[in-house]
Amino acid sequence: MVTRGPARAAWWRTGLGVVFTALMLFPVYWMVNVSFTREGDLRADPPHLFPVDGTVDGYRVVLREQLPYLGTSLLVGLGTVALTVALAAPAGYALAKLRPVGGGALSFVLLIAQMVPGIIMAMGFYAIYLRLGVLNSAAGLVLADSTIAVPFGVLIFTAFMSGIPDEVLQAALVDGAGRWRTFRSVVLPLSRGSIITVSLFAFLWAWSDFLFASTLDAGGASRPITLGIYRYIGNNNQEWNAIMATAVVASVPATVLLIVAQRYVAAGVTAGAVKD
Amino acid sequence: MTTSGWRRGVAGVALTALTAVGAVTGCSAADGPAGGAGGAYTVWDPYPQFAGGSDWEKLLQSCGADAGVTVRRTGYDTTDLTNKALLAAQQGNSPDVLIVDNPVISTLAQAGALTSADETKLDTSASAPNLLGAGQLDGKAYGVPIGANTLALWYNKDLLGQAGVDVASIKDWPSLTAALAKVKGAGKKGITFSAIGTEEGSFQFLPWFWGAGAQLTALDSPPAVSALTLWTDWLTRGYAPNSVINNTQTTSWQEFAGGDYAFAENGTWQRANAEKLDFAYGIIPVPASAGGTAPAPTGGEFVALPVQRDTGRYDVSTKLVTCLTSPDNLLKTDTTLSYVAPVAAVQQTQVTADPELKVWVDAVNAAKGRTGDNLGTKYPKIPEQLWTAVQGALSGAKSPQAALSAAQDAAAAATR
Amino acid sequence: MSSTRGGRWTAWAFLAPVTVYLLACYAYPLYRNVELSLRRYTVRSFVSGGAPFAGLDNYRDVVTHPTFGPALAHTAVFTAVSLLCQFTLGLALAVFFHRHFPLSRTLRALFLVPWLLPLIVSASTWSWLLNSEAGVVNAALGALGLDPVNWLTSPRWSLVSVIVANIWIGIPFNLVVLHSGLQAIPTDVYEAAALDGASGSQRFWRITFPLLRPVSAITLLLGLIYTLKVFDIIWIMTRGGPTDSSTTFATWSYRLGFGSLLPEFGPGAAVGNLLIVVALIGGLSYVRAQRRQRW
Repeated sequence: MVTRGPARAAWWRTGLGVVFTALMLFPVYWMVNVSFTREGDLRADPPHLFPVDGTVDGYRVVLREQLPYLGTSLLVGLGTVALTVALAAPAGYALAKLRPVGGGALSFVLLIAQMVPGIIMAMGFYAIYLRLGVLNSAAGLVLADSTIAVPFGVLIFTAFMSGIPDEVLQAALVDGAGRWRTFRSVVLPLSRGSIITVSLFAFLWAWSDFLFASTLDAGGASRPITLGIYRYIGNNNQEWNAIMATAVVASVPATVLLIVAQRYVAAGVTAGAVKD
Repeated sequence: MTTSGWRRGVAGVALTALTAVGAVTGCSAADGPAGGAGGAYTVWDPYPQFAGGSDWEKLLQSCGADAGVTVRRTGYDTTDLTNKALLAAQQGNSPDVLIVDNPVISTLAQAGALTSADETKLDTSASAPNLLGAGQLDGKAYGVPIGANTLALWYNKDLLGQAGVDVASIKDWPSLTAALAKVKGAGKKGITFSAIGTEEGSFQFLPWFWGAGAQLTALDSPPAVSALTLWTDWLTRGYAPNSVINNTQTTSWQEFAGGDYAFAENGTWQRANAEKLDFAYGIIPVPASAGGTAPAPTGGEFVALPVQRDTGRYDVSTKLVTCLTSPDNLLKTDTTLSYVAPVAAVQQTQVTADPELKVWVDAVNAAKGRTGDNLGTKYPKIPEQLWTAVQGALSGAKSPQAALSAAQDAAAAATR
Repeated sequence: MSSTRGGRWTAWAFLAPVTVYLLACYAYPLYRNVELSLRRYTVRSFVSGGAPFAGLDNYRDVVTHPTFGPALAHTAVFTAVSLLCQFTLGLALAVFFHRHFPLSRTLRALFLVPWLLPLIVSASTWSWLLNSEAGVVNAALGALGLDPVNWLTSPRWSLVSVIVANIWIGIPFNLVVLHSGLQAIPTDVYEAAALDGASGSQRFWRITFPLLRPVSAITLLLGLIYTLKVFDIIWIMTRGGPTDSSTTFATWSYRLGFGSLLPEFGPGAAVGNLLIVVALIGGLSYVRAQRRQRW
């Protein structure tokens, strides 16, 4: 909290905040609007601003067919978070605090790795998974989805962990804790904020991933919710109200999760300060 | 920062990359187990809309049961399927049966990923020759059509009535344009179609292109220019919306379904959706420039047998395909897909069951394979140039003549 | 600290998992992309192998292709404008949300919602909003008495439209990362400044902005990398058209490799690799700036 102004000023900010959010979310509102619109009115001119003569067919279909996929998405999202943090946090610590030989090169490779176009990544995974016979598995999708988040995670962890004062770590070492103990019982707790930031992004990316899911997991029984959409995209036909209804249904649980997580983001980030 | 630190960094990158390549080559030498164990046969299709318990899935299982094997089926999005099939072929792990959109057949056949009907002794004789043509390369058939569709003009009866247009008067391009003018005069919108920069856009332009008497071997001929001029004029006069430049066939249908448009160029597959329209509709063939019916391109999917390492599998796969394309099963499949059957006898059954289908059956029989005009293996290079030209002219970036001349030059260079 | 030799090598114990992971997950696709670009692939040799080595031919073809110039210009404009706007708006919003006020957390969380949507959905929604005939944006223009604009179908506007959609998609990322950066600035610095009588804008330019520099650098770098490879949004909204007017390297690469009936893998991969080189330059300048700051 910087300066707590009078209560009236705070509410004025709330009003402005609501306006900004409304502007930002207008396209999302439009998606919700479409999810209630009857097929014949989708391209009506002028467009219907509200689904006055609406239909809930899309939702009826989605609730009947799509709910199982939500579980898979949750599983894949959480798996991706776990894998990402497990790989990126130690790496971030080493790069920030241990100054390893060749560390610069490694972080550089991490940067470049992110530049490989998604479709090429997906084709590479596809070829390997096809050979290994692990297509259409949730675990395979977790591994692929984590490639979006791991380089980002390492960079963020490096940036935030380099802000942890060296004296704190030295003290732990002097107390006889090994590097691993120091990492586990000093660095990790201090980095709660960055862990949550990275987890949030890893989860979001995995949740909304479409490319990897459609390449690697299109045929299996355990498909994520974004692929559920494909049921409504036929060869020559697209059921837009069902597609949009799926997107709405898919974003509700994740939005709730986000709002809950926000509390912890704000609480935790201050612990690991960013400085040079 | 120091220069030496720099160098070390760069050398580090190079080293890491090298190890990586080494690891990969090592990896790919060790061969993974081949997919499709024992009595399981894999089928890929572009019908993700059909889920587990659908009729299509049941049909596949029963064909498998008849052949004494189990069928493992995967439905992919149609735009992904070509890449997946190519990659699977590269990895030596193709499905036993592959169902793909017809223009893809020639690509996959060129890639050597498909077996010809001669090799597998697949009987293709029942299919209509104009449909089978799309799956032929150098005189060999690489699959059989499972269903056919084509394009025609859907019209809004109610709207034409209000505008005072008699559909029977539409015989050629001038009478069609006159009808559009009347509709616009009545405060409604004329016609919608898809001119998107993909194969879909070329597919929709072809009836007009061919209807003018143009050939795919000469994209800049005067008839070709007249066809593109027709579309461009419709846009500039406001008979067709500017949105056609980005319309897929689905979005174009949605515009028509909104009830503001008098005409829509769209396909057989919309028949199921047409039931949901809240106005009366009708269908006429796309007119040729000087009258008569323009040849529309054939659409629809083919069933093909990809190349397998174990050639012993072809026997069962052929049985599966024969089962899928047997008259009874074709009737079921094509009814679900809103397609026209590729076999004359089944078409008769379809028309008897639903007389409205007659106009579509006639249209399919008059349709022309896209690989026609003696292009064969050169065909896949052409549509990209064609849709680029259409987009260039419609968006006003170039004149129809200039756009098509550029397209012809590019096509000639690409197919040389 | 820990500059002993032993310490340095322990570091690699911590780095080992991510190194193995990098090799396992990225090496093959990257190698494959380079290999594709150096050989003359046809569909047949893609499947059965034996494509002749072509050296830099694919790159030469790509650079002399008529699409190269426009694609380069569009990529530069798309990336620069997107980055600038995303960053500015993200920073402004982060500063705005940094002050706690009723509902601030909830509203900030809602800003992330666009991210939960699969790109196919958000890009389709944008193409609806901007549709020439029935789009709500043109309806709004009409209500104001203005002429409709062919957002997606005229060569003049298509690039603008995809940039707007991309900025929208990029704001949440910038907001969250910059906001965490703001949180990390110790509050006593501000308190001291307030005592000194610094005004709001002085506080921003003298304290917030400089202290935020490391996080800003990372945000911009990641933004550069993500923006360079944006392809879905453009592809869904305009297919890079009409007539290449919104084609960037990313969409061009996709179109060459996957967008037509006969894939041209070699040139497609070459364009993709050119993008990687651009990102490499971005990465190098980041590292350089970092080091200058540190020593």
